[in-house]
Amino acid sequence: MKIMVGQGSCGIAAGASKVMTVLQNNLSDKGFDISITGCIGMCWLEPIVDVTEDNGKLHRFVKVGENEAKCIADAVISGNFESTLSLEITDEDNSFLTQQTRIALRNCGIINPESIDEYISCGGYSALKKVIFSMSQDDVIEEVKVSGLAGRGGAGFPTWFKWNAAKQSQGDEKYLICNADEGDPGAFMDRAVIESDPHSLIEGMLIGAYTIGAKEAVVYVRAEYPLAIVRLKKAIEQAKALGFVGKNIMGSTFSCDFRIKAGAGAFVCGEETALIESLEGSRGMPRLKPPFPAQEGYWHKPSNINNVETFANVAWIIENGGKAFSAMGTEDSKGTKVFALTGKVKRGGLVEIPMGKTLREVIFDIGGGIKNDKQFKAVQMGGPSGGCIPAELLDTVIDYKKLSATGAIMGSGGMVVMDESTCMVGMAKFFLDFTAKESCGKCVHCRIGTKRMQEILTRIVEGNGRSGDIELLEELCGAIKDGALCGLGQTAPNPVLTTIKYFRNEYEAHINDKKCPAKECTSLLTYEIDSSKCVGCTLCAKKCPVSAISGTLKSPHVIDADKCIKCGQCMSICKTKAISKN
Amino acid sequence: MCQCSCNNNINLELLNPVLEHYASVKGSLITILQQAQEIYGYLPTEAIYKVAEATGNTPAKVMGVATFYTQFRFKPIGKYLILLCKGTACHVNGSETIAQTIKELLGIDDGETTDDGLFSLSFVACLGCCSLSPVMMINDETYGSLTPEKVKKIISELKNNNN
Amino acid sequence: MEQIKITINGKECICNKDEYILKVAKDNGIDIPNLCDHESVAAFGACGLCAVEIIDDGNGRKLPKLMRACATKAQYGYVVSIDSERVMRSRKVALELLMSDHEGDCLGPCKLNCPAGTDVQKYLKQISQGDYHGATQTIKNVIPIPASIGRICPHPCESNCRRRFVDQPLSIAFLKSYAADKDLEKDTFVPVCKPDSGKKVAIVGGGPAGLTSAYFLRRHGHSVTVFDSMKKMGGMLRYGIPAYRLPKSVLDREIDEIRSIGVELKNGVSLGKDFTLQQLKDEYDAVILAVGAWKSMQMRVAGEDLQGVVGGIDFLRYISSQESEIPDLNGKKVAVCGGGNTAMDACRTAVRCGADEVYVIYRRTRSEMPAEDIEISEAMEEGVTFMFLTNPAEIIGKDGNVSQINLQVMELGEPDASGRRSPVPVEGKFEYIDVDMVIMAIGQTLNNTGLDGIELTRKGTISADSATFRTSDQNIFAVGDATNRGAGIAIEAIGEARKCADVVDSYLNGSIKPYNAPFVSKRNDEDIDFTKHEKKQRIEMPARPAEERRRDFDEVNLGFDDEEKVKSEAKRCLECGCHDYDDCKLIKYANYVNLKDIRFVGKKNISPVERKLVTIERNPNKCILCGLCVRVCDEVAHKGILGFVGRGFGTVIKPEFSAPDVIADCKNCNKCFNACPTGALKLIEY
Repeated sequence: MKIMVGQGSCGIAAGASKVMTVLQNNLSDKGFDISITGCIGMCWLEPIVDVTEDNGKLHRFVKVGENEAKCIADAVISGNFESTLSLEITDEDNSFLTQQTRIALRNCGIINPESIDEYISCGGYSALKKVIFSMSQDDVIEEVKVSGLAGRGGAGFPTWFKWNAAKQSQGDEKYLICNADEGDPGAFMDRAVIESDPHSLIEGMLIGAYTIGAKEAVVYVRAEYPLAIVRLKKAIEQAKALGFVGKNIMGSTFSCDFRIKAGAGAFVCGEETALIESLEGSRGMPRLKPPFPAQEGYWHKPSNINNVETFANVAWIIENGGKAFSAMGTEDSKGTKVFALTGKVKRGGLVEIPMGKTLREVIFDIGGGIKNDKQFKAVQMGGPSGGCIPAELLDTVIDYKKLSATGAIMGSGGMVVMDESTCMVGMAKFFLDFTAKESCGKCVHCRIGTKRMQEILTRIVEGNGRSGDIELLEELCGAIKDGALCGLGQTAPNPVLTTIKYFRNEYEAHINDKKCPAKECTSLLTYEIDSSKCVGCTLCAKKCPVSAISGTLKSPHVIDADKCIKCGQCMSICKTKAISKN
Repeated sequence: MCQCSCNNNINLELLNPVLEHYASVKGSLITILQQAQEIYGYLPTEAIYKVAEATGNTPAKVMGVATFYTQFRFKPIGKYLILLCKGTACHVNGSETIAQTIKELLGIDDGETTDDGLFSLSFVACLGCCSLSPVMMINDETYGSLTPEKVKKIISELKNNNN
Repeated sequence: MEQIKITINGKECICNKDEYILKVAKDNGIDIPNLCDHESVAAFGACGLCAVEIIDDGNGRKLPKLMRACATKAQYGYVVSIDSERVMRSRKVALELLMSDHEGDCLGPCKLNCPAGTDVQKYLKQISQGDYHGATQTIKNVIPIPASIGRICPHPCESNCRRRFVDQPLSIAFLKSYAADKDLEKDTFVPVCKPDSGKKVAIVGGGPAGLTSAYFLRRHGHSVTVFDSMKKMGGMLRYGIPAYRLPKSVLDREIDEIRSIGVELKNGVSLGKDFTLQQLKDEYDAVILAVGAWKSMQMRVAGEDLQGVVGGIDFLRYISSQESEIPDLNGKKVAVCGGGNTAMDACRTAVRCGADEVYVIYRRTRSEMPAEDIEISEAMEEGVTFMFLTNPAEIIGKDGNVSQINLQVMELGEPDASGRRSPVPVEGKFEYIDVDMVIMAIGQTLNNTGLDGIELTRKGTISADSATFRTSDQNIFAVGDATNRGAGIAIEAIGEARKCADVVDSYLNGSIKPYNAPFVSKRNDEDIDFTKHEKKQRIEMPARPAEERRRDFDEVNLGFDDEEKVKSEAKRCLECGCHDYDDCKLIKYANYVNLKDIRFVGKKNISPVERKLVTIERNPNKCILCGLCVRVCDEVAHKGILGFVGRGFGTVIKPEFSAPDVIADCKNCNKCFNACPTGALKLIEY
């Protein structure tokens, strides 16, 4: 019997370590082996425990607490899983997985990420072997070209093209770099891959290094991902021990060393030239392009940079052929894409689907629709560089071009779902707060422009918007798109532009009527007690932190609007739903 | 040598192993600073000067790098470092209320430390636990699906532990 | 090196392949705006001003993105636009954003508030160094008659001088006349006029406006004739302002200077009588009307037509036209109606003519009086009786002569549109005073004789375009009191006249260039800390005692007698204006894109001015983060003392962290100072 506990960051945050301890305490001395696995992507069900019987039957237990773990241990010992049936995943929840096609995530949540043997037993490193011993550099480039693989970091640039450019650059010192600085707030695909299947990244990178002729590979990981760094380090050591990393890999003439560099907290370092500056130990301020990294990159040597998900696809493509990959997807976008589905969706987690599915399929079929049966309002894709796509465009096909046409972008895979209670002006402000904070400060358009946009948005949500502010924002957006130095600045206006495009009426309501239609902007809200519903229980008056509510026992209470700080605590404590906000 | 008027209680020798290992490896400035922060909990001025000298950089350059990245701190932090996630999913699920609650409870804002040296608050871009949003991390422990009540409880427990 | 051809703004440029477009443009005499580029360091790409549009990449395609010329290499067949609409839009927003975070004064409030735009800060500096000729030269770049103007100007410069927040404003006007007097004494400044253009300009009116346009048009190389109906030139300065304020000898001397550079002055000829506009138009290439406002306005009270009722300006003109004998008002009682400077001139003149009693009738109180405060107090010292809160209701006559004036008593009511409390009659309350003469000094307007065919405003003044000074007749320009809003102060007329001279010069050269007020960066007074300045008393102008001066028309003020005191007064200047204004690339390009106002106003990134470099004062608030100082210090001086600190909007440039006040390691090469495109770095004067 095989017992695995999901130990991704999400799982651990949800309490997987405690569950692990309970299982170990109850089962280890009885000869059961309990191992860890990564993240299966069903984050809303964490912690998850998988028990596979010797006959291959899988029992997947979800939302496991310490008590449930004890029951599972008993079931394992007895071999009878009748009593724990209620703890197992429902068919409905399981459909979250069965509707997916997993390539980049193929091993995630299935194998032990800390065991290279498990990776090899799933066919790991055979693609590397194939490449080294039977394919030329151009063969690999051709295969990747056939696959149609495009950069999964957001821009969607053809991978083969970058590899070819780096390969063709003169020089014996070249670098292969993995961008694991997943900075989009609301995205965690790369973290999940590194934590759950680090060898697929290493193998993909080795193939890339072989192809461009790099002798050194560097992974630039966010410092906020400590577990990913630990697991990646371990994996590199293991690969080294087996001769997959280092000198004369698998006995060939191909050598490649690996290094991990931890980022130090700067979103802009996701931009490739800023990332290079950071790798070199400098301030992460983007360089001018050209020259492109393929010509002059890390230490001014030819360098190639791809993100984690891109590399995680490579070994599969080599093994199964580029055609198998390009068989999936649309005319323009091939293969699969991983999304981090979060926000007001019932089932949030990691979703990998072939390109070409619609947003509706992902959010409603896989994600199960909106929490608490509220109304879907918009989905945010591409994070601070992306935009909000409204309900009327839910049937948009997931494809680089089609998504760009909406004003959003494919992005790295963040997909944040919003319902009727999310203010879209507030959303734009949220992203501008982020970009203004993360701007490196080098170019004028971004440094001052994002600050000014943030200030205008702030005054709008605070009820101080002026007529003409929308037009002012639009003009700033246009100029920043045109004038900013790097991708961060050039795309920073997108959240504002898309919300203006699809939710202009919300902007107008804030500015002209001083109302927030989503009832989220506290400055524009008033709380009121309906005297016909209030029973005078005094709970709200006791709860109010600023003593803004007055009234005597058993008679209706009143809120003093001048004192009220709009914290909403009265409303949440009221048992008779007598309090409303407007 | 330290040129400023700060206190000199910093044991700079603790930096030696780090510098021996990395000072001559080009491009290691960020790594060295990260390790220095591991040692002291923050980056003392003296340490910055020492790193500059050992790596052949000017203090201006080292300071430039250190102030660019949000990870680096220039003041000691409290016993409990609260990292409050300000990611998109957390925002959509009400992280602003959580931030407000913490600020009111502790009387500190982003980047500040309470007078008793117990708590420091830091807003972070995304902790990557979006399905548990809103989320915060205190030292190594992650707390998810937060509500103001839950936050109050967590913080008062930590306070009680120290009474 | 392979030579290729590219086109920049229609100009074909041969250059090396892979040369940066910015460099190619520069080599071909085309200025692509940029703030962060410098030949000594690598391209940086921060400012974004050099963005250009590649409208043809040599293969018939337009590049989708704007390209930074500093970092884009020339490729065969490139067609580059450096000022397409899209480029200009992006550039304008960049400059607007930069200005929105720029905390500094291009110009001091003195210069900004001087209608003539006198470079006060500069000439005060010259005066403080004893360089009076230099100072006069500075002033004469905008005012041809500084000795006269310094004596009589109501000096908006002083009213706005920031020194008033420390102690008192500088005595700017008198310092001006002091320097100009010194200059007139010997080695008088003579401007160099441009070679003769062969164009002829006629100017009607020899007052401050006419003389000023004549002076500057002559300096532009044109042949200029001034026509004036009076016996002598000077207009209001001679016939409106009494000699005790402006001695005629000073005015004569300055007019001589104007004549000496070749301006032809014709007196005693009147428009509409001796010559017509048509004649001037036929004979000259351009005509400027600077005829002033010589018609006294009427109050429309009963009895205004009585003998003994005169207009203020008519009275003053009459008195000052008397060559030798001054009319005797001995035994007479005179009432002057009005509260402006003309009223003060009239009442003080009446005193000097020996009047027994002189009254000023004013319907508000002293604090609302538009006249200069010093004029009011000097009039009071000289014995004038002020009857505030009274208004003539009727002038009563006897045998056709004025004998009495009936005054309606007033009180102050609600503030009007101008913010002044408006006077309202106290019902039924009147006062009577016995008078022999009533002077109506309540304003003056244009006398439109000979101006047939020229469009007038509703106020009865000449309608002239505020940017081109053109009247309804395209060949005729007009300036000064005669135009638009009507009578003002002399320095306003002078300011307009100089601008008009430049416009007419451009017109004569074939293409009219309307006046366009330059955009400047300004600080708010509230944002400035004045406490750091040591208090220092303002110099006082010595004056003759009232008893003595009220008997004659000699100058009231005695002039400064201690040169050291004058210099030290000039040193009180806070030097608000930026030392780099003339060379600042930021303001140059802000005006290049015709920035008018900043729409993206917001928080500014403020940090203290400091002196941590040996010879240089750093003002981070004027810094635009182009990084040139950092890069030059690092790449050229090999010092690396300066660095960026922080990121995003809060980024600043600082010398090494926590260093002592002055960095010994700075090798004081001033390379950073030389590279700085703005006034953020300033050499320290020791």
